[in-house]
Amino acid sequence: MKYLFVFLLFLPIYTYSSDTIKIRELYAGDMQFSELAKSLDGKRVKISGYMAPPLKAQADFFVLTKMPMAVCPFCESEADWPDDILFVRGKDTIDVIRYTEPLIVTGILELGTKVDEETGFVSRVRVVNADYERAL
Amino acid sequence: MKKLLASMVATVVAGTTFANDLPQQSSPWFQDAQNVLMQKMETPRLRGQAKNVILFVADGNGVSSNTAIRIFEGQAQGLLGEEHELSFEKFPHLALAKTYNSNAQTPDSAGTATAMLAGVKTRQGVVGITDNVDRGDCVTALDNQIPSALHLAERKGKATGVVSTARVTHATPAAAYAFAADRNFEDDSALSDEQKAAGCVDIASQALTADMEVILGGGRRHFIPAELTDEEGKTGRRTDGRDLTKEWQAQGGEYVWNRDGLMKLDPNADRVLGLFESSHMEYEADREGDAGGEPSLAEMTAAAINVLNKDEDGFFLLVESGRVDHAHHAGNAYRAMMDGVAFAEAVQIATQMTNLEDTLIIVTADHSHTLVMQGYAQRGNPILGLSKGLDSQGNPVTEPSLAKDGKPYTTIAYVNGPGAVQGERQDLSNVDVEDMDFVQQALIPMSSETHTAEDVAIYARGPWAWLIDGTVEQNYIFHVMDHAAGLSQ
Repeated sequence: MKYLFVFLLFLPIYTYSSDTIKIRELYAGDMQFSELAKSLDGKRVKISGYMAPPLKAQADFFVLTKMPMAVCPFCESEADWPDDILFVRGKDTIDVIRYTEPLIVTGILELGTKVDEETGFVSRVRVVNADYERAL
Repeated sequence: MKKLLASMVATVVAGTTFANDLPQQSSPWFQDAQNVLMQKMETPRLRGQAKNVILFVADGNGVSSNTAIRIFEGQAQGLLGEEHELSFEKFPHLALAKTYNSNAQTPDSAGTATAMLAGVKTRQGVVGITDNVDRGDCVTALDNQIPSALHLAERKGKATGVVSTARVTHATPAAAYAFAADRNFEDDSALSDEQKAAGCVDIASQALTADMEVILGGGRRHFIPAELTDEEGKTGRRTDGRDLTKEWQAQGGEYVWNRDGLMKLDPNADRVLGLFESSHMEYEADREGDAGGEPSLAEMTAAAINVLNKDEDGFFLLVESGRVDHAHHAGNAYRAMMDGVAFAEAVQIATQMTNLEDTLIIVTADHSHTLVMQGYAQRGNPILGLSKGLDSQGNPVTEPSLAKDGKPYTTIAYVNGPGAVQGERQDLSNVDVEDMDFVQQALIPMSSETHTAEDVAIYARGPWAWLIDGTVEQNYIFHVMDHAAGLSQ
């Protein structure tokens, strides 16, 4: 735990720049991909968001959400996943960052429905070979 | 001084324009306040029986939230913002409600909705039952059910309905028509076999037996079986195999699942069930992007009134903006503001479609949230923006104010929630803090921002609306509605 904490302290800090896109910019309403998303398919992108609490330990993937996955104890008996989430496959095992910390993910954007062989996770859009950094 | 006061008192008593010799009298502030004074002195105290009652609840829209929404809407209209009025802020009567539950200083929506709708406070988490029942004990609850204003209106022969942007089985709308020992009993899958055998019934099933004419909102999954996929590709939750949408239609009601269906509703329809989303409806900010197309809260309110107005005996309608609360829980003020504006538009449409003389409209919140408007922002500063103050002469500056850590801060913040700062506070200098997905900074880390315990406002117009006055217990709202419309007589 101590090592993780030290690691987090020294995670690279990334500032937002004009080429950083938002998850919602990948969609053009009706959950269809935007022209921007289509133009970036297969290319290296920088996307801002938050790391959802991991689905399993020692994973090399996580789910990026546009806002922290807050759950109101009075409102919900379980969390509902939003429609516009992004599957992120990292280069290595993920070091978990608290789901409230804003992140910048850098990697290759992939569009199109795909079932992840390892997890069975079905995604419509992914970032693979990804790095991620805290955005401060 | 004594002479001036005497002169002022004399002119007030006379009810005419006064203070002719005051230097401030030419100020628009002075004139506006004079006009309001005259208007209030002429406001009649309507004493006729209300034919119709509409209760509007913006879930979680406390006083600070409402102030921010007022400024947000005003600035969207090109005003400075602070001087703006939301539709219901023009109502003539106002009170403050004490929101606590019978067992909790800080309330939840189930207990508060029960208070407003049934006239007594009860425990957190329970719907339409007295406070001597443990949450979850649905068997004991069967003998401790309390009828709501909606039930009484039905008994009196009025048409009734609920409208919500949350699931129609969620706490606030559920309290209008259901009795449940736990607000999470939204469909039968939440009840054990033993509970079902003892006679406990889920909330969605009670929506059908309450004999309402209008049910509009989200929550389709609680009305259809788990093996059924709905119009938008989501599966149901029911484990009893029942499709309540089919049962509704078999009873002669219309069923619609998207905006298009609601807009094309048969004008002669006298019963409509509209379930526009599997879970909660979209936030107003995201509504346009919904796959199936969703109506706005104002559109649902108008559709509801059109159906209910057909009943010559009048109607009772509950309208909830359910997602101001959810956006606050997420620490996301933008979506709370947008849903708040949509709420004000829904109230506006209701005032246009009804008569002041025969329709009591009450507008309130069930509880507040930790949203604060902090710092010393200059007049007209963007409500979601970085705080920019005044120079020593009181003139606006162009650079954001800096906190002791040398970083700027936003006017809106939350005391707790997912935006809580851990370690070093994020420098917001180059962050689009007015972006719809921005999460406002907060103090205490929590997975979900919380409710708060302070009073909320109640606005009212129509017959007996003047009884909304002073600082009152939240359950008093029921008693005004009952008195105005004679619901329990």
